[in-house]
Amino acid sequence: MPHPHRRLKRSGLTMPIVTDRFISNAWHRGCDFINMDLEDSVPPALKGYARSLVRRSIPVVNKGGADAVCRINHDLMEADLDAVIWPGMVHVNYPKAEYGHEIRRMDEIITRLERERGIRPGTIAIGANIETAVGVANAYEIASASPRVRDFGGASGYDMSRDLGVEMFVGFDQFVYGKGEVELAARALNLEPRAAPFTPNITGSVSDPDRAFAEADAARQCGFRIGGGLHPFVVEPQNRGFTPNDAEISDAHWVLDEYRKLAVSNETWVQIDTQSLTPGDGPGPLDSSDNPNLRHRVIDRYEAARAAELLEWARLCADRDREKDEAIARVRAAADADAT
Amino acid sequence: MPAANQIRRSWLLVPASAAPRIASAPASGADVIILDLAEFVAEPNKPDARDAVPAALDSVKAGGAEVFVRIDPQLMLADLNAAIRPGVAGVVVSRLESAAQIAEAAALIDRLESQRGLLPNSVEVVASLETAAGNHNGFEIATASPRVTALTLGRADLAMDLRPEPSGEIHLMQYLMQRLITLAAATGKLPLGAWWRAPDRGLLATPENTLAAAQRGRAIGFRGSMCVLDNQVAPLNDGFTPTAAEVAEADAIQSAYAAAVQSGAASVVHAGGRALTPNLVRQYAQVSALAAACAIREEFKSAALSGRPIPLP
Repeated sequence: MPHPHRRLKRSGLTMPIVTDRFISNAWHRGCDFINMDLEDSVPPALKGYARSLVRRSIPVVNKGGADAVCRINHDLMEADLDAVIWPGMVHVNYPKAEYGHEIRRMDEIITRLERERGIRPGTIAIGANIETAVGVANAYEIASASPRVRDFGGASGYDMSRDLGVEMFVGFDQFVYGKGEVELAARALNLEPRAAPFTPNITGSVSDPDRAFAEADAARQCGFRIGGGLHPFVVEPQNRGFTPNDAEISDAHWVLDEYRKLAVSNETWVQIDTQSLTPGDGPGPLDSSDNPNLRHRVIDRYEAARAAELLEWARLCADRDREKDEAIARVRAAADADAT
Repeated sequence: MPAANQIRRSWLLVPASAAPRIASAPASGADVIILDLAEFVAEPNKPDARDAVPAALDSVKAGGAEVFVRIDPQLMLADLNAAIRPGVAGVVVSRLESAAQIAEAAALIDRLESQRGLLPNSVEVVASLETAAGNHNGFEIATASPRVTALTLGRADLAMDLRPEPSGEIHLMQYLMQRLITLAAATGKLPLGAWWRAPDRGLLATPENTLAAAQRGRAIGFRGSMCVLDNQVAPLNDGFTPTAAEVAEADAIQSAYAAAVQSGAASVVHAGGRALTPNLVRQYAQVSALAAACAIREEFKSAALSGRPIPLP
């Protein structure tokens, strides 16, 4: 079910806000969001300088239609919030969230700053990121601490590995329990789960486009909608991987057609051997010749709900892509006008 | 040690609105037949399905199965009114989300048991935790009433929209299964489920995949599972019964241990490469006892189906 505040987050680049060449050039990469980092990629001596850059960087990263997002420091939360809550900002990532009271405090500060600075109340979302064992233990309390927490996930990645004292790139899933706790909390609270199926990775590469596509595609097919990365090479593959392709859209229309037939039959489900169908002009099911799991398809209210969600998601993706294309075209047209 | 009448390996879901399914179910060999009033009954068919329950409660027993009724918690009054009658072993409450729902069901069952001459507190409740909220509140639900005797994830894969991962595992299921089995053990309930993998979906699978799911499921602690089709019953019964090889090993180890204890030979006994502790030997004894109870259950069901005299347990 799309959240009323849902903003697409298929792709996003996280970059140190103090590195001007990253911030200045990120807008034309096609990201759904750009995450300006004040935390781990900014050395302690530059934290104050980093804060001074946020307000003026928001329009820079917004130029290509990307949402402005930032990641603040766990231990400098109040000072950082004062520097980042400005018009144009839509989401603040709070790393290493461990207690509900941290999120409630953030909510109070953001609520005041939104009103002081002319931002529509409730605009800014909180990314309460679970990256420690304490955070896992308090996952439900954290996720339920503020309505600004709209998507929720974590319990894996660099910081979690460090907290548990384990190597991150081992080729199997080390975080089944913690990720399960966090995802169950998200789902129990009706938040968008920020998760992905496990795919083995022993290289730790952050710039491999094929891998980025495969991961995004697997995540989307598992029902997940949120990506993000560190290298420009992964942006386009993530946008593509998180967007339904034409065959899937046709399949969703086929499922809904079959469900409409089922609904008048007083049966609750039917199984269809898709290889027994003669291809017609209308929408048809996914090709099962490469994937025998797709041959016998059940049609029921669950499949219909998935199909409807997929079509809604495809529409949102298309709208978002158009929005970004138009924004980038506007910047380029303005630049051309300046040049002549 | 399980009694023979508590061997509940296969739980066949049969829509109470589907007369042909009710007719074929006794021959399936199911340990338990669940007459469904919940999601396998289309909305317009619900009143007729409820009306069909009393006769079906009687007729589906022909194969020696215990009979449960699956109800919809949003239609608790109507569904329980149809279900709570002499001959029903219990109800499966689908999509349970809170302890309050168990309290509501238990109060209604109290009254219906008393009105209809059932033994007080005889009707069991199987808690089907199919939603995120239900699983989140699993401990409170399991401990809300002594009527709750079993926990299952039911069709959580569909209710929670959990889809296959590239590995073939169904997303989040390994965590949810472990959580449910741990909760069940902690609260003394029977954990029901099987380790389904793609393309298994919503308790529906081929007989081969059902057997594999039951074997994997038994290995992580499940004791039986629900299923949708008659041809899934035999694989569930097989998969949740110790194999002949397991029983032979268990018997041999118990004999070796008994002989060693008899002779007073050693404080630690080795057999089959393992050092036997009393606890380990007890676990092997449970394997033998489970196999024996399963055999009695099979004999009981086959006698019931063929009209032979029912052997006394």
